[in-house]
Amino acid sequence: MQTLWSAWMQYLPLLLRGTAMTVELTAAALVVGVLFGFLLALGRLSRVPALDTLATGYVEVVRAIPVLIILFITYYGFAELGLVLSGITAAVVSLGGFYATQYGEIFRGAILGIDRGQTEAATALGLTSAQTMRRVVLPQAFFTILPPATNQLSNLIKDTSLVFTISVADLMYQANSALSVNFLPMDMLLEAGVIYFIFYLIIAKVLGRWEVSVQRRRN
Amino acid sequence: MSNDVVIRADRLSKRFGTLTVFEDVSIEVKKREVVAIIGPSGAGKSTFIRCINYLHTFNQGTLEILGHTIVGGHNHPSKDVLQDIRTRVGMVFQTFNLFPHLNVIENITLAPVEVKKVPRAQANARAMELLEMVGLPHKAEMYPKRLSGGEQQRVAICRALAMEPEVMLFDEPTSMLDPELVGEVLAAIRRLAKEGMTMVLVTHEMQFAKEVADTVVIMADHGVVEKGPAREVLESPRTERAQSFLHRVLNPEEVPDPLEQEVLPIGGRR
Ligand SMILES: Nc1ncnc2c1ncn2[C@@H]1O[C@H](COP(=O)(O)OP(=O)(O)OP(=O)(O)O)[C@@H](O)[C@H]1O
Ligand SMILES: [Mg+2]
Repeated sequence: MQTLWSAWMQYLPLLLRGTAMTVELTAAALVVGVLFGFLLALGRLSRVPALDTLATGYVEVVRAIPVLIILFITYYGFAELGLVLSGITAAVVSLGGFYATQYGEIFRGAILGIDRGQTEAATALGLTSAQTMRRVVLPQAFFTILPPATNQLSNLIKDTSLVFTISVADLMYQANSALSVNFLPMDMLLEAGVIYFIFYLIIAKVLGRWEVSVQRRRN
Repeated sequence: MSNDVVIRADRLSKRFGTLTVFEDVSIEVKKREVVAIIGPSGAGKSTFIRCINYLHTFNQGTLEILGHTIVGGHNHPSKDVLQDIRTRVGMVFQTFNLFPHLNVIENITLAPVEVKKVPRAQANARAMELLEMVGLPHKAEMYPKRLSGGEQQRVAICRALAMEPEVMLFDEPTSMLDPELVGEVLAAIRRLAKEGMTMVLVTHEMQFAKEVADTVVIMADHGVVEKGPAREVLESPRTERAQSFLHRVLNPEEVPDPLEQEVLPIGGRR
């Protein structure tokens, strides 16, 4: 027990350094995924057939491909075509690009769920479609979006661990390098797992609080 | 367009796919005039009134409104034209359509602040004035779902008025309300009429139409079947279609049960 605990403590700083990378990757991929996902949703809802087709095609194809393949295509495949990306950039692009399909569908469903009378009322008052989206539609879609979005965020956090395969020094990478030195795979992997779990727990708590506070404000 | 004509619809036609909702509908609304549109369900009254602020496009005809001219079936009017029309024309819906995530005062101030860039404090002050006018200043901080239907509709009227519109459109503003709540909404509309607001009002309240409207338009069978001074049209309609509609509305208990007429005896023989 004593030795176990000391191994966990000894490698904690290394794993925390990896955790910092994991957090940064998650944040960057989340921003890309949410923004690009919103554009995909607008594309799919657009009355311009070309935009709809383009967005629909992207979503249907990309979401059906394993994230690891997307990651390898972005890192190795693009390099073969002359577009050399750093590991971190490739990670953010591929995770963001994949999760955009998930967030896009969440946004699209939520926007479609808003009663037409709401957008009509806003339009009749002279609001532009952008103002209507920002002030009327999205705030109402909030409660439909948040639970599935939190869910996808937990998947995103877990999928960031794939980046160790292209040598980005995230939490998984550091756990892997530690265990190859100390030969304590069970301890190192469990410790990393616990850290992933705590990271998710904190985020879920924060988002849950946010939901409750918005709910309270509106009642 | 003569100076005091605010809206002139000239032979408007509207189709949804192959369904013709109405054809050749012409009306004129003068400044300070109240025009009531009545008619059976499905006649296209809602669709028509939505064409006035271009929530619906139309296929044929010409709409002149507040100095703009829109020709049906052609290119859409520009965003600026639509914005100008919509900021100057207020609309009140059958289903209220208040924004549920905003409280009463935020509902009323949203458009003035966003669209007209009215300073927040000024918008709030105006909203309170309007709420006082409809007897709801104490509800300013409440959210719509806590209000009765009649209260919601009065707030919706304030929300439209906050843009200081030159014309108000009402689409059956009381038909979703419990009977005891109808009066308070009609009172607010009556008051607007007295103040000289130009209004187009789709309604099933015949008594109210007779009281506040200058002109009554009866829509049925895909078009206008009769229009004229309110009293004249409602009390002594000339066309048969208008007569039969008004008779049914005023004597609902005499309308025969369509099932009783159509049902065949068991066995299928009469
Ligand atoms: N968006 C739409 N798409 C297709 N058909 C529609 C649409 N809106 C209305 N209609 C049809 O147009 C016709 C007229 O509808 P409208 O709502 O204008 O009638 P109304 O006179 O307002 O009736 P009510 O008194 O019941 O409100 C109906 O047959 C309706 O089914
Ligand atoms: Mg209607």
